[in-house]
Amino acid sequence: MENLVYVALFAPFVGSLFAGLFFARSPKTHLVGVVNSTLIAVAFIAAVTLALHVAEHGPIHVTMMTWIGIGDLNIPFGFLVDEVSVTMMLVVTLVSTIVHIYSTGYMDHDKSYNRFFAYLSAFVFSMMILVMSDNFAGLFIGWEGVGVCSWLLIGFWYQKEDRPFEENPSISPSWAANEAFIMNRIADLGMLVGIFLIYWNTGSLQYDVVFDKLPHLADGLLVSIAIALFIGAMGKSAQFPLHTWLTDAMEGPTPVSALIHAATMVTAGVFLVIRANPLYSLEAVHGVSMFIASLGAFVAFYAASMALSARDIKRIVALSTLSQLGYMFAAAGLGAYWIALFHLAAHAFFKALLFLGAGNVMHAMDDELDIFKMGGLKKVMMGSYIYMFIASFALAGLPFMAGFYSKDAIIESAFNDGSYIIWFILVVTAGMTAFYSFRQVFFTFHGEERYKALGFHPHDMYKYVLVAMSPLAILAISFGWFMDSYHEFIIKNLPDYEMSHHTEHLAPYLGGLVIILAVTGIVIAYKKYAGTGENAWKRDEEFEKSFIYRLVANQYYVPQFYDQYIVQPYKIASAKFWEIDKAVVDGFVDFIGKGAYKTGDVSRRMQNGNLSSYLNWMGVGALILVLIAVISSVIG
Amino acid sequence: MDNILSILIFFPALAGLLGFVVDKHSAKVYGIAVASIELLLSLGLWAKFDTTNGGMQFVEKSDIIPQFGISYNVGVDGISLFIVIMAALITLLGIILLRDNTKNMKNMIVSLLFLEMTMVGVFLTLDAIMFYLFWELSLVPMLYIIGAWGGPDRVYAAVKFFLYTFAGSLIMLVGLLATAYLYHEATGDWSFSILDWYTLELTETQQFWLFLAFFAGFAIKVPMFPFHTWLPWAHGQAPTIGSVILAAVLLKMGTYGFVRFSLPILPDASVTFTPFIMMLSIIMVIYTAMVAFAQKDMKQVIAYSSVSHMGVIMLGVFAMNAEGLGGSVFLMLSHGIVSGALFMLVGVIYERRGTKLMSEFGGLAASMPVYATIFGVMLMAAVGLPLTIGFVGEFLVLLGFYNVSPLGTVLAGSTIIIGAVYMLVLYKRSFFGPLTNEKNKDLEDLDKRELTALIPLVLIVVWLGVYPKPVLEPIDNSVKLLLTQMEKKAISTETKEAIVISKKEAK
Repeated sequence: MENLVYVALFAPFVGSLFAGLFFARSPKTHLVGVVNSTLIAVAFIAAVTLALHVAEHGPIHVTMMTWIGIGDLNIPFGFLVDEVSVTMMLVVTLVSTIVHIYSTGYMDHDKSYNRFFAYLSAFVFSMMILVMSDNFAGLFIGWEGVGVCSWLLIGFWYQKEDRPFEENPSISPSWAANEAFIMNRIADLGMLVGIFLIYWNTGSLQYDVVFDKLPHLADGLLVSIAIALFIGAMGKSAQFPLHTWLTDAMEGPTPVSALIHAATMVTAGVFLVIRANPLYSLEAVHGVSMFIASLGAFVAFYAASMALSARDIKRIVALSTLSQLGYMFAAAGLGAYWIALFHLAAHAFFKALLFLGAGNVMHAMDDELDIFKMGGLKKVMMGSYIYMFIASFALAGLPFMAGFYSKDAIIESAFNDGSYIIWFILVVTAGMTAFYSFRQVFFTFHGEERYKALGFHPHDMYKYVLVAMSPLAILAISFGWFMDSYHEFIIKNLPDYEMSHHTEHLAPYLGGLVIILAVTGIVIAYKKYAGTGENAWKRDEEFEKSFIYRLVANQYYVPQFYDQYIVQPYKIASAKFWEIDKAVVDGFVDFIGKGAYKTGDVSRRMQNGNLSSYLNWMGVGALILVLIAVISSVIG
Repeated sequence: MDNILSILIFFPALAGLLGFVVDKHSAKVYGIAVASIELLLSLGLWAKFDTTNGGMQFVEKSDIIPQFGISYNVGVDGISLFIVIMAALITLLGIILLRDNTKNMKNMIVSLLFLEMTMVGVFLTLDAIMFYLFWELSLVPMLYIIGAWGGPDRVYAAVKFFLYTFAGSLIMLVGLLATAYLYHEATGDWSFSILDWYTLELTETQQFWLFLAFFAGFAIKVPMFPFHTWLPWAHGQAPTIGSVILAAVLLKMGTYGFVRFSLPILPDASVTFTPFIMMLSIIMVIYTAMVAFAQKDMKQVIAYSSVSHMGVIMLGVFAMNAEGLGGSVFLMLSHGIVSGALFMLVGVIYERRGTKLMSEFGGLAASMPVYATIFGVMLMAAVGLPLTIGFVGEFLVLLGFYNVSPLGTVLAGSTIIIGAVYMLVLYKRSFFGPLTNEKNKDLEDLDKRELTALIPLVLIVVWLGVYPKPVLEPIDNSVKLLLTQMEKKAISTETKEAIVISKKEAK
């Protein structure tokens, strides 16, 4: 079994090296797509085998070698495959396999096909390190590794030039890539501080050692550690106020958005909180956990509100990802760790499906993103339509779909916890989610065929790509059916979360309420956007001028705020510092240098070769010496 | 192999003297041969080195002026070993990277070999007078390299470099002489041996003043804020090879001085001065990173970033625990490798385009993919990505310093953010975006000569990032020994408490 751990971990790495070292400079090699997809599939099979093994025999722990050892610090490359990490491994490898196959079609015409696969497989490798490591430093390796791969992949089309913010809020792929990297780095500093605190107070970074010692630490310390680690989680999972990079990250190719910015990397923050559940479930850090839940609920609502009016097909999906991440944090903050993890997996499946479907639409529409220019695509893209419909259904949480089980459980736990405000926000957001998801579906696939006038000739994706997407569709429908057996599997490792009797009693009503809201949302969306001819959607210019619309459409002016109050002042201050460096710091040095030079220049005149002037100077010197002698004798 | 250290020090200089008679067309080959032998010798030293022993090894000692205790005294431990190897490696790769049509190639090679002697000498000598000699001698070839092969303002830059660092080291010399005098007062014997000085007990006032004297010499060399302004000038005017060696090795003489002299000889003063050093280091980290961000010239970005990273090294030196101090020694190596490589990379594009202004570039990733890739690797190492060499040292320093000052660590830790800002902006401006400038369209990618110089550095960046153990272990042993000596020697209990050798043993 130990070997399988390494297979699961290193198969993607081999793929990355294969594409990167041997084919980076050749244009497009079909072999690369095939080999890399196969290697990821191998990792997936290894993960499945490991999962079965874990279910039966419990966790596997392997230590490869020492990484950093100095002083008392000893960090190994150690990997832990337990119920939590194997869940993540399954999700990551499965979605990655499908995205790899998908990319062989999607990136077909790209001249950097091989480079793309090198990056994509490297990402999977980093993600596996992140979820499999048995210590915080190992987690941090993966954490930064996925960050770099995300940087490379967001900026994949680096040739594109910068455009003004008003034209394109994410300016250019390379700009968006830098933004994502830097913003994540801010959070990473928080995470590093958490790691330092853990090390100096427990003497180790290994999960098991650390979690054993946590209950013996002072309360204030625990709170600091919890906050520091959560700051790290906020960056990767794009929680407010570090969220703006996620929507801008949509500059990357769509398979990247599906894999990294929906299914896997952005859930790393949630994973961290789940992984550190022995910390976050301590009584002392209850306040932090409640903050996490509240922030999660806020972000769920906040992102959903922006998705209501967004026009960019990828941004809508990105905002809905943001919103769903909020749900996951709400669950984790409330102590329902396993529900958060379950929603994480369910979300990975249907959100990846949704993104890949959106990718198909973009591919068909020559990279057009504006849903106002689409409509009626159902006729030409039946396959993608069905997929996106299923995914939106699951996202909206309609009965018997994956999202129904996982999201409903989160909403119920908020109610159960007595956090009625969080519960209320999450319920309202559920209705909004249904509305904006179907708004997008109806805008794209129903209604008038607005694209025709604009000269597009859409066609659906390759058949094999559509077939490859089918596992995601199946899971988007059926994943929730396995909730009970998953519950049994996961509570061996995560604390159980049982609804109280009171909530259980009300559960059908609570669920019913959510469904009613969701259906209402869908019906409104249908009425507004799906009609043709007489009932066709018409643009409401008046509404688009209203304050509330502009506020939401401009992302609540947060990016502008960052630019104006952080980026620009930083630029100005930097330029000022440079001036100071030249004028004052260096100027002072030159002043001393010139002073010495001048003194020499002036005193040089004493040496004029005139004997009598020399005698005069000698007299002056002798006089000074005598004076000094007198004064010193008086003092001394 | 008994005299391997002496061979290491004097072989390059002797070979350099012979270099005068070498045919000028084969000067470069001759230089490569000599530098290769030197590198092999240093690797041989590593092979023979006892990694479990933290003390001085291969010690040689013979009197020069016994009346004053001045002797030829060399030795190597885990702290100096790898810096010497790095100096040999960087010299070799720097010579390989020299263009064949460099004017006065012979003089260049001789200067470099002479410089190599002084660099190796500084790190291996155990006698304060010898140390001072090598320290000052290193200025001469560098002065010549900047002054003869530099840019338009080369004379100003070279003189500034020389006078500034020379002024500092004169004050340092006073400190060294004073220490010897105090040693004589205490024991009745004259000695300039650093190892003897380690046993010398000094009052806190004496330590205070000696610390300041040493500080003048070391801080200007590092260079610490506000004594750094000679460096951008030197880098701005120096030829590529000059910048590479300056950044990679010469700056390390300053931080090495703190480790070898200030800490063990003046433990109490070192602890007393920690807040002061911390303040300057944090200013260095943040302020110079911001100045780096404001630069328009690629080389100046790297120059200021180099100062900013030296601030992190300084913090580690004063962390007073094995994690931080060991981390800072490792960071000296990784800074040498990475900033050396970055200066080489800037030199590559300068040779092709005759400019270093970022506004002249843009989209280079399309025309020079291999160049862009290697630059990218070094960029990631510079911003401290895990599994590259840059992470290990930076992580350890920040980890170690957290025990001294959490707030200071958070402030200095901002290097991972603002460091990423200027490096990524540089990369975006130069390598990304459309290829608009006609002159950049047909640029030739890296050729064999450049790849030979750069690939070894890339390999080291990855190797020591993934598996730093072979280097960290000897460093760890020597650093622990040094801290033990410090603790034993410290007068005040505060100092003893500040020094953390091992938490496990303490508890």
